[in-house]
Order: sequence, then structure tokens, then C-alpha cells
Amino acid sequence: MIADKRSLTRLFPIALVALPPLLGLGYALSASLGLSGVANGGLTLQYLREVIASHTTWAAVGWTLWIATASTVFATLAAVLLAATFRAESTADRIGRMVAVLPLPIPHVVAALASLLILGQSGLLSRFANTAGMFSTPAQMPPLVYDRLGIGLIFALVWKEIPFLALIAFTVLKSRGGLLEESARSLGANRLQTFLYATWPVLWRGMLPGVVAVATFVAGSYETAALLAPSRPLALPLLTMERYTDGAMELRPDAFVLAGFSLLVSLAAVAIYGAMIARAENFK
Amino acid sequence: MAIVGCALLLSACNKDRAENGNRGAIARLPWADVVSLARGSTVTWRMWRGDPSVNAYVDCWVAPRLMSDYGISLRAVEGQGPEIVNQLVVERQARARGVADLVWINGETFHNLRAADLLWGPWASRLPNAAALDSSSSIVMRDFEQPLDGWESPWGRVQFALIYDTVRTRHPPHSFAELKGWITKHPGRFTHDQQFTGVAFLTGLMYSLSGGAEKFEGGFRRALYDTASARVFGWIEDVRPDFWRSGRDYPLGVAEMHRLFANDEIDFTMSYNQNEVVTKIRQGVLQPTAHALVIADGTLANAHYVGIPFNAPNPAGAMVVANFLLSPEAQYEKLRPEVWGDGTVLDAAKLTSALRTRFESLAADPHAVPPAELARHAVPEVAPQYREHLAADWKRLVRERAP
Amino acid sequence: MWTALPISVLVFSSFGEGWFYPRLLPTHWSTAAWGELVGDRRLLRSLVISVWLALLTGGAASILGFEIGRRVSRIAVPLRYFALTAAFIPVAAPPLALGIGLQYFVLRAGLGGTLTGVWLAHSVVAIGYTTVYFIGVFAVFDRRVEEEARSLGASPLVTLARVTLPLHRRQLAEAFLLGFLVSWAQVPLTLLIGQGAVESLATSVMSYAHAGQDHLASVAGLLLTLPALVLMGLVGSSIRRLAVATV
Repeated sequence: MIADKRSLTRLFPIALVALPPLLGLGYALSASLGLSGVANGGLTLQYLREVIASHTTWAAVGWTLWIATASTVFATLAAVLLAATFRAESTADRIGRMVAVLPLPIPHVVAALASLLILGQSGLLSRFANTAGMFSTPAQMPPLVYDRLGIGLIFALVWKEIPFLALIAFTVLKSRGGLLEESARSLGANRLQTFLYATWPVLWRGMLPGVVAVATFVAGSYETAALLAPSRPLALPLLTMERYTDGAMELRPDAFVLAGFSLLVSLAAVAIYGAMIARAENFK
Repeated sequence: MAIVGCALLLSACNKDRAENGNRGAIARLPWADVVSLARGSTVTWRMWRGDPSVNAYVDCWVAPRLMSDYGISLRAVEGQGPEIVNQLVVERQARARGVADLVWINGETFHNLRAADLLWGPWASRLPNAAALDSSSSIVMRDFEQPLDGWESPWGRVQFALIYDTVRTRHPPHSFAELKGWITKHPGRFTHDQQFTGVAFLTGLMYSLSGGAEKFEGGFRRALYDTASARVFGWIEDVRPDFWRSGRDYPLGVAEMHRLFANDEIDFTMSYNQNEVVTKIRQGVLQPTAHALVIADGTLANAHYVGIPFNAPNPAGAMVVANFLLSPEAQYEKLRPEVWGDGTVLDAAKLTSALRTRFESLAADPHAVPPAELARHAVPEVAPQYREHLAADWKRLVRERAP
Repeated sequence: MWTALPISVLVFSSFGEGWFYPRLLPTHWSTAAWGELVGDRRLLRSLVISVWLALLTGGAASILGFEIGRRVSRIAVPLRYFALTAAFIPVAAPPLALGIGLQYFVLRAGLGGTLTGVWLAHSVVAIGYTTVYFIGVFAVFDRRVEEEARSLGASPLVTLARVTLPLHRRQLAEAFLLGFLVSWAQVPLTLLIGQGAVESLATSVMSYAHAGQDHLASVAGLLLTLPALVLMGLVGSSIRRLAVATV
């Protein structure tokens, strides 16, 4: 019943969608093992070993994880806050919701450029501080771009991801929030309790798929890192690109290892997402 | 879909064989035939497109003339050294159609392309305008100590220079020794970039610390490199704490350095083209108080070239374009400070007296360095392996290690 | 303010000259950078390429997404989640890694550095988005309208053309917008598959920024942003439906 023949044939169209990325993953993996690509000298674990042994790889993975986590956490919290604040149907609330979602169509590369101009040590923020008498030279302004913590990068990513998560939060709250909250209120809960025990769980469960999506996206984002990230530690997308375009061709297989790794991780995230929505359906 | 794929593959293979046969023949044709073969065709030129002045020269001066004089449609697209090598390798491996007809290259890129047999040629000696080349200049006729042998055609020449601000820095240093002292006295106001220009700075430093560029001529010698680079990295480690951001972070490329310099974060920037300061002031990237400076210990002078990839779809067109670029008119226009300020590879003595006067009367912009002074401190490039190793070792020993 | 500030900075940078530290405002204003739009054909060409790519991607993605989403919705429930998950794969795949994995195939097909190749690459990602969208749309679609048409004797094709498609006009428009935006903002895929021969507006922003040409980068950035905002505004309130599909 679950997988009858008709349903299976119906899955073919989906293959058109899923096949190209899987093909890409396949090629990346086979190139990592030396089976294809420029350095195809036959099956070898050499490149895998090189990448795993390299300190730069782990620094990149760790740093990218940090960026992904920090951006997602901030964006989620902000989205939740916005959703809780602009709940009603009043004009003010509607405008608030619209403004919150406004940056949604703005491309990441533009957000990165603007962040560069604003948050650089000689950027707009620093000049405001200079005018206000706080700093007199750009060097006194703490570095927010090309910096160790990736603050400028996190800022740009958060700015772009809040609209997406906020939109989801608004929708979730609108479609599912009401009932549970009313019950909580009628049972005598105050505002905080209502939020903690009725609103938040509903929001969280509804947003979770989106949060996973955002985290995956942020981790793989190339253009934002290219404009705002430091050279050490090097972000994973930047490291991958650097290896891929290495002039002497020696480091290219490493790029395939890293690319294959990124694709596998995203596949895992998709699988987790799949499990989550299946459960969410049951929850409904 | 599989059938379509196979069909495409087969057609590509056949086309490849046909094109290779044709390409060989083109190299032997008389010039007039090459020109007529190229008429009405499109030439795709992969070059660095990061400078609007260069783009304006290519798109708005060169391209229209190619169209009116030769019927060639020039299409300049973005592509730099390592990308070009990478692309050609991948294209060869996938037996794919070539995209670029002409590529703007020099030094390490030329070395890598030749080593991997990715260039088409030899062809450059067949260009009529090559007769006026400054063939006595080792800077023009040898690319990082490699003979051209007709595998690339010279296009322009430049010299490395520092750029400083005349208002902020009233007494700039003129040698590496003075620079070291200046850095110590002005902590956090100097750095170099991670790419091409930064490595040029390190190379110049290497020459200076080892007693001159002559010591490095005659091919790559491992032992010499090891001692020389040790001195370089020793020098760096000494001044590193006084670098910008305490030497922990470095701007990615020269553009970021210009930005830092213009916005008063550092007091020096660098350029491979001593005239860049002129064009950058005009573009509003640098402030008008900027000025170029050559280090008395010697600054690197090198030439840049154009080459034709092994799988170029239109080599005849590419040859015509390369020849046009060598014409005195094109070289003169390029030399003008209001246009690009890129040095000429032609020998003025080989030109007609009218043309010669035009070249010589081209006054240098006050922001740049006078040509005589430039020539006095010019130092040639040596084997590319020195730079490649310096770059790799810098990443390993300096960038990756926290101070 | 939060939303407007980044855009205003770009506006200032594109119209300003001599905007160095510590000035809060440019030394003087000029339209020189915008003039480059006409003068330096690079900007204009990248704009045209971006528009063309985005239109083609939106078209392909919306049509294919519609059809695939429609078929998937006929699959029984447990397997349907598998399909939905599979549709997410191109959405979640980091474009850079995806480009690295696919470049070989694109080159093999002779499409490297061509508009077609870049369009296909963009579409691979965009189809994921639109398929997910339409799976959600068809999940709440009341089949009975189709069934009635069939019971009246209409063939499947006629039903599709005369009943289903017209009912989904707005959704098709939204999916088109979705595909359009995916292509419009794409950077790594264009870089890897286009190999510099295909320069989109988005990659030119990066290119200018990396070359230190902040004024031109801002012009390109604004050119990239404004149409996106306008289009969003036009299809605006229905964007909420997109969120429903993922929730």
C-alpha cells in the first residue's frame, strides 16, 4: 500500500528535480577518490587524508559552524520577537509586518556590499562615531568586517534571514497560534506564561524546518563570505573556492572533497527536514 | 537525455579534430590571409576587468577600431591568471568547446600554461607590428625569465610602486631599511595584500635583502631561495607586530588596500602599475593628495602579454587583435595618463620620427614618478618559481601562524 | 530604519564622489557612476543578461514546478513526503558545491561559458523551489473540480488546460517570481558555469566590490535590488502562501 507501483512511477518527475544535485554529489565524491577530475590517477584516499589532516579544513568547518549557528540563533530570536509584537490586525501591526519582510527579495550580495560600506573600520558607523567624538582614527573602531568573530558577516546574514524567518513566524502564529493561546488564557495564564507554554512551542515547531533551512543556507553562502569574511580563519565556501581555482592544479582534488562534504551535509539536513515535516503533519 | 548527451559528445569530438587541423594551418598562413579569415568574426578576450580605465580603453577605443578596420567584434570578459589556467585544464579534461580566443597573462600564468601545454602557438613572431618591439629589453622579451618563443605577444609594461599621501606622510621612506624604521615609528599604518601585488612587494624585499636582483638570475635555485626567503620572513617577523591589525589580518587584494589607504586606515598602498595612482585619483578611488613612490633599492618592472589558448575557437581573429594592440597608435593611446598610463613595449627608435616625437612628448602626470627615475630603479623579474614559493610559504609561515 | 539604512548607503555611494573617511556625506554629488551604465557597456550588458536569465529561469521553473508538483500531489501520503524531501535537495545544496560538482557535465555538453549552461544551472536550483511551492499548493487544491470536468468527458489534457491551469494563474505568477529571484540573485553558479563569459548583474557587484570600485558596485547593487523589490511589491501579499508551503 505504501509503495505501490503507481506511486513509484509517479515519483519519476521528482527525479528530474533531485537528480542534478545528486549527480553533482556523485561527481564530487568520485573526484575526491581520484576516480575522475583532473588528477584521476585511480582510486585513492590520498585527497581525503590530505583534507582531513589539514588544520585549515577544521578551522574552516568550525568557523563556518559558528557563523551559521550565531546568525540562525539571532535571526530566529528576532523573528520570534517580531511575530509576538506585530500580531494584531491593526494598521500599525500590518505595516510592521510588511517592513519586517521587506528585505526578503534583496540579494545576499547586495546586503554584503552594504554591510561592507557601513561596518568597515572606515565605514559609515565608524564615521558616525568619529563625528560623535568617540574615535579619531579608523583604527580605533573595532574591526567588524574581515574580523575573527565575523561580526559584520553575521550582521549581513541576520539582516537577510530575519525577513524569511519572520514571514514563517507570522504565518505560523496566524494559522495555529490562536486556539492554544485562547485556551491558555482562559485557564488563567498571564502573558508570560501564555507565551512560554502556548505561543513558543507552536512557533518553534512551525519554524523549525525554516530554521534548519536558514542554517544550511548560511553555512554554504559564498558571496557574503567573499565580501565580509576574514582570511584567517577562512570560511568553508571560500576555502573550497580557493582550492578549486588553485593555479597549479595540485589542490583541486581537495576542493572536490570539500564540495562533496558540503553536499553531503546539506543532504543530511534535508533528511532531517523530511523527518520533521512528517512529524509535524502528525502533530496537526 | 542520454541520447542527446552522446550526440553532443560525438559532435564535439569531431569538431575538435577539425579545429585542431585548422589551427595548425592558420599559423602558417600569410598575414593577409589571416586578416581576411578573421573578418566578420568575434574574438572573446579573457582579461582582468576590475579597472574601469582599462575597460574603457578596451571597450571604447580598441573595440570600435577593430570593428571598423578589421570587421572584428571584440568581446572582453572577466578572467584572471589562476582562473584561466583552471578553466583551460577543466575544458581539456572534459573535451569541451573552447570559450576564450585571447587571454591576458604574464609570469606564473604563462609558466603554468606552458607547462601544461595549454597554449596555442607559436604565433607571435608572425605579427607585422612585432617588428617595432623593443627586442633589446629583457623586461619585454623575457617573461619572468622565460623566453617568449612566440607563445605570447607583449602588450604593455609596468613598474611596481608604493603609493602614499603627500599630506599625511611628509617624509616617506625611500628604501626598505627606511621603510622598516618608518613602520616601527608608525605602528598599524602599513600592510601588504595577499595576492599578486603583495607577493611583488615580498619579492622586491627579497632582492634587496640578498644584495640585488642579479643574484637571482639564471633559473630557480632551491638553496638560494631558502636562504633568501629566510631573510625575508625574518624581516617580516621583526616588523609584523607593527603592521596593520598587528599583522594578524591582511587585505585580500590591492583593491582592499586602496580602500584602506583612501579611508585613512593605512598610510601606504601599492600597485604594480606606477601610473595607477593617476587613474585611481581620476576614478575617485584615491584621494587627490596621493602620490607614487619607488623604492631606491629597486622595484620590479615587468611586462604583460596576450596569449592564445590551445582550444581557441578563433585564433586568426585573436592574432589580428594582438597585432592591433601592438600598433603604435594603440600603444600610444594606452600610454596616455588620462587613458591608462600603461608603458609601451615598442622601441621608440624603431618608429617613424613623427611617431617617436609623440611618444617622447607624452609628459608624465605629476602624481606619478618621472620616467627617468623609474628606469633608474627598474629591476627585472626572475624565474616564476621564486614568486610561487614565496606566495605559498607566506601563506604557510605568516598568514597561518598567529603572532 | 534597519531596513532602509543599507539601501540608503548604496544610494549615497552611487551618487557621491569623494566619500572618504571621516566624511558622513560625500564631498559632492554626481551622476558619473550612473553614467557608466551608458558609457561602460559592461554594466548594461550584465543587466540585460541578468534579466534574460531570470526570465528564462522563472519560466522554466514555474512550468516544470507546476507540472511536477501536480503529479506529486497524486501520490499517496507517506511516499509524498519522500517526494517533498527530494524536491528540497536542490534548494538545500550550497550553490558553490553544486557548481563544482556539475561543472564537468556542463563542460562535457559544450555549454561551459554559455548563457544556456548558466540558465540550466540556475534552473536546477529554481525548480527545487517551485516544486516545493507547488506541492504545497496542490496539497490544498480541491480535486473535485478536475474530477467533475473529467466526468463530463474532458480528456486529461483539456482538463489541464481549461480547468487546472486557469485556476492557478496567480500561483504560476508567484512561482515565476520565485524562479526569477533565484536566478536574479545567484552568484556562485554564474561564476563557475559562466566562467566569466557570462557576467550577471549579481556577479558584477562582487567583481566591482573586489576591485575597490565602490561607486560602480553600488550602482550595480541598486540596479539589482530595485526590480526585486518592485516585483515583490506587485506579487506581495501572496508571498505569505510561499511560507505556508514550507510550514
